[in-house]
Parts: sequence; structure tokens; C-alpha cells
Amino acid sequence: MADQIVIEAVDIHKAFGSIQALSGASLQVRSGEILALVGDNGAGKSTLTKVICGALKPDSGRLVFWGKEIDVQSIRRAQELGVETVYQDLALAPDLSVLDNVYLGREPIASSGWRRWTRAIARDVMYERTDEALRNLGIGLRSLRSPIRSLSGGQRQAVAVARAVLWAKTAILMDEPTAALGTKQTAIAYSSMRVAAERGLAVVVISHDIPRMLKIADRIAVMRHGQIVTNRTAAELTLSEVVGLMLGSAETSAA
Amino acid sequence: MAAPQSVPALPSHVEAVDVANRRELSLSQRLLGSTAFWMGVILVVLVLGFGIASPDWAMLQFSNFQSMALSVSMIMLLAVGMTFVLGAGELDLSIGANVMVSSVVAAKVMAAVSGSAAEVQAGIYPNLAVGVAVGVLAGIGTGALFGLVNGVLATRLRISSFIVTLGTTGIGTGLAFVLSGGVNVPFVPRDIQTGFGALQLGGVVPLPTVLVVGISLCLWYVLVSTRFGLHTLAIGSSREAAGRAGINVPRHVLSLFVLMGAFAGLAGILDLSRFATTNVGGYQTTAMGAIAAVVIGGTSLFGGRASVGGSMVGALIPLVLATGLVIIDVDSFYQLIVVGVILVIAVYLDQRRRERLE
Repeated sequence: MADQIVIEAVDIHKAFGSIQALSGASLQVRSGEILALVGDNGAGKSTLTKVICGALKPDSGRLVFWGKEIDVQSIRRAQELGVETVYQDLALAPDLSVLDNVYLGREPIASSGWRRWTRAIARDVMYERTDEALRNLGIGLRSLRSPIRSLSGGQRQAVAVARAVLWAKTAILMDEPTAALGTKQTAIAYSSMRVAAERGLAVVVISHDIPRMLKIADRIAVMRHGQIVTNRTAAELTLSEVVGLMLGSAETSAA
Repeated sequence: MAAPQSVPALPSHVEAVDVANRRELSLSQRLLGSTAFWMGVILVVLVLGFGIASPDWAMLQFSNFQSMALSVSMIMLLAVGMTFVLGAGELDLSIGANVMVSSVVAAKVMAAVSGSAAEVQAGIYPNLAVGVAVGVLAGIGTGALFGLVNGVLATRLRISSFIVTLGTTGIGTGLAFVLSGGVNVPFVPRDIQTGFGALQLGGVVPLPTVLVVGISLCLWYVLVSTRFGLHTLAIGSSREAAGRAGINVPRHVLSLFVLMGAFAGLAGILDLSRFATTNVGGYQTTAMGAIAAVVIGGTSLFGGRASVGGSMVGALIPLVLATGLVIIDVDSFYQLIVVGVILVIAVYLDQRRRERLE
């Protein structure tokens, strides 16, 4: 629960053709706190989170999980390490139920009888756990069996977050999680991040909403030109300092 | 840990009430909302309607049900397989050609293995059991191989399955003609008809129907209750989401095409056992018939939603129409028109449902 470093990215380089997206980015992610990753467009925020969640392979650099260096080959591998990602487009299957989406790819098999023998999915177990996860996050959904298609944008967001919280053991990475949400849904999304952090998870949020991040995040990491230029507690920073670091006009206020 | 931050409180008046209040649809509500259920109702109404209109209740005669049950088995099998293909957002137009080439291969193998050329010409089959067994396996194997080719082309070369299977329809049809020389394969042992195709379980239900309904019920279970079924629908709903959930999308799609192909091979065997001969040049409308049955049954053409039960009903509706129209002495060509209309209505309903949900 204490703010132990659970993930460390060290000197990560990643190029897309001639564009150097990451040039020696190093980031420490601590358990039990919300880390806001901010930076101008093209600073490398999304690329860095994609490297951490296994969606992109870095050209060079090291990833350390719980003090052990690990070569994260795939999203699956990152998931096994307890890292879950909430994508900007949420990555939900619109025709499937809330339940099936939360468990997709990791469905439990019935534990007894002929349903076990036929390897049937244990939807009762899925229902119970999904119900619990949503309740813990304070998310109201009338039905867990209705398709995602019938939910509002905010509710879909809630399902994506609940899925991440349910499975994450180490960290949740969120790329612009509230970009498409209204005020109310944004509030719900941020309060669920806090719940996740209080349960000891590391929460990494990419956002352009810097004033908001200064309020809700514990720590702010600023990226510029493919590097982390500062990583400090939110309380130590002001809006103008952060903007200055993002744009590079405050080189001297080193971390 | 850093100092506690101001956590945005949940607006208490909204949504919070719902947390303790889940309200799932009841079984009856779900039933009333399913296309498959309503198509089932339409089917029953059609049967009863034709029954009342038919002279001497001919439509409702037991023997008529027997003959319809036998007639529907091949298309039902194909429709059930197609349910998975469409459910995954793919399409297989080549199943008619596949049925044809598989049945030709099966017939040729049966004739060749059952006895020497002279023997089978004389109607003597010394190795009948082995011949039939090997022929059946060859037919199903050919179908599966055909499906594998479709699947490999669609997944590895990333050509849309519509185009791939349009192409393999021509290839398969041509191959069947080349293999058979354009004429029906001679000297197919009649025993497959007398020993299976024309037999009835307990003298009541035709054996091919028993086989097909059994397979269909198994696949119903697979679709609704297993990972394989769920992953099929996930792929049809959103490939992106399925892939990010760790599902190996190309491999799964490939397996669906192989399954569909194997079913086409089996369908070829069923037809062979029913008529004791191949039907080279037939099966031109088979793929369309199967796809129509699936869509009528409530499976979405766009993928993501599928119903095996609906496909079973959807396979029966055109047959009941055709049979009923003949019995009440109306030109059975009207069946084509009515089925066309039902198909359009089914797709329209599917689209409406999607729009309503959004």
C-alpha cells in the first residue's frame, strides 16, 4: 500500500521510422498513488504507456516490475504482471454483455458437474464478481447482461474502468480516460481512480486537463521530446510550472 | 503516500441509487425480444395456417412432417455452421461449391475403395464397410480442407472473406466438374441410402435429421456457453476489442472456416446418402439459402449477435412455405418471393434493433 515503486521504465527508446517518439524516457510508478502523465502532443505519453502495457516493443531500455527486470512481449504478458490498460476507445465489444466484456479472454470455467466437463463458462461467478467490482467503485448499472451498445458513454467508461480494476494487481494505465465524457461521468471516472489507488494499485493517467490533474493526482510526471522532464508530487507544483515544463520554458526548475 | 487530494464526490442524486438495484431482464422478456422466438411463432402459424387451408389436413400429416424433416436436414446443418461464420462477421459464399466437390470426392472414394472397377460396375461391393467409412472421411476431409483454404486466404492474406469465398466458389465448382467429368459419379453403393439416408430412428424420425438436430443442439450449447462461442461473437462485434482481450483472432477465424467446411463436407455426404448419387451442377443456391436462413433467424449480418435456434427455425421457414404452397395448390415459385420478403424484414428488424439500442 505504501508508495513502493512497482514499475520502473529505464531509458526507453522508441522510434517510428524517422520519428523518435521516446528518447531515453525513465519513469517510476508507485503503488497507491495516481500519477498524471502530462505533456504536449507528440511528447511520447501514449507511446510510453503502450510500452509499459506490452502493446509496443521498445527499441532499447529496460522495464522493471516489482524490482525484477522483465521483457514484456505482449499485452497478455503485461496482464500477467498485473498491468491493465483502459484504452481511449475503451476496447469493448458493443454486442456483448457487460459481464462478457469484463471477462473477455479470461472467462472462468464452471467448477463442477457436466458444465465443467463441457468446459462451460461460469457466468454465475462472473456475475458475482463484476457486480461486486462495480459496487465497490460506486458505479450504477441497471443490468450486467445487457449489451454495451445499450449503455451511455459514461457507463461504457465505467465498465472499462471496472474491468481494469477487477484484473489489475499492479497498475492501471489510462489514456485520456475522460476525453469523451460529460462532467458527471468525469467525476465518476476520477473517483473510481481514487478507489483503485486506495486499494494499493498504481494508477497512471494520461490527460491534457492539467488543472484537474493537479487536483486529483498525487504525482505529476511531465514529458517533453520523448523524455520525462520531471516527476514530483502534485502539491509541489503549480499550473504555470507544469505548463512551463511541458513547453520547455522552465528548464532550470529541475526535478 | 502523498497528502490526500480532494476526491470529487459522486453526485449523490444520480446513478448511486442504481448500485443496489440491478434489474436484469427476465427469461420471458428476453424471449419476447429475440428474433428467433418470433420466427418460431411465424413458423408455427405457417404450419397451422397451411394445415387448415390444405385439403384433408395434408400439411399436418405425419408423413409430411417426416419428409420435411428429411428435406431440411442438409440446409439446417449448413445454416448452423454459417451462424458461427456470420456471428464472427465473416461470410462463406462457397459452401454450395464445397458441398458439390466434397460429395464428388466422397462418391469417387466410396466406389474406388468398395471394390474393383469390374465389381462395382456389377453392383458388387466386397469392401462396402471400409469403402463407405473411408468415403465419408474423405468427404468431410475435403470439406474441411476447402474451408482451410478459405480461412488461410481470408486471414493470412487479409482478403475479405466475401471476395475469397466468391473466388473459391468458382474454383470449387470447376474442380467438381473436372473431377467428375461433368456427369454424376456412377456406382455409388446404394447401401448408404438404404442403410442410412432412408432410415428412420424407431421408424419415426429420419436418421439424417437426428444427426443434424443433435449436432445443432451441441453447437447451440457451444455458442451460448463456451469460450469458443463467446470469442466468435466477440470477434464479430469488435475485432479490436477481441484482439486486445488476448484472443488470437486470425486463428479463431481460421477454425471457423474449417468448421464450416467440414459441415459442408458432411452436408455433401447427407445428400449423397439421401439420393445415392451426386448432384453435379446443383447447389447453386445453397449458400444463399443457408445465409438467408441464418439471417431470418436473427443472426446479425454485421456479426456479434447469433442464434443457432434461430437458424434452425430460419432453415425451416422456406421449406414450410414451399411445401405448404404446393399442398394448397399455389405455384411454389411464390415461395421464393415470400422468403425474399421475410429476409428483407429480418435484416430491417436487426438494423432497427441496433439503432434503438444506441
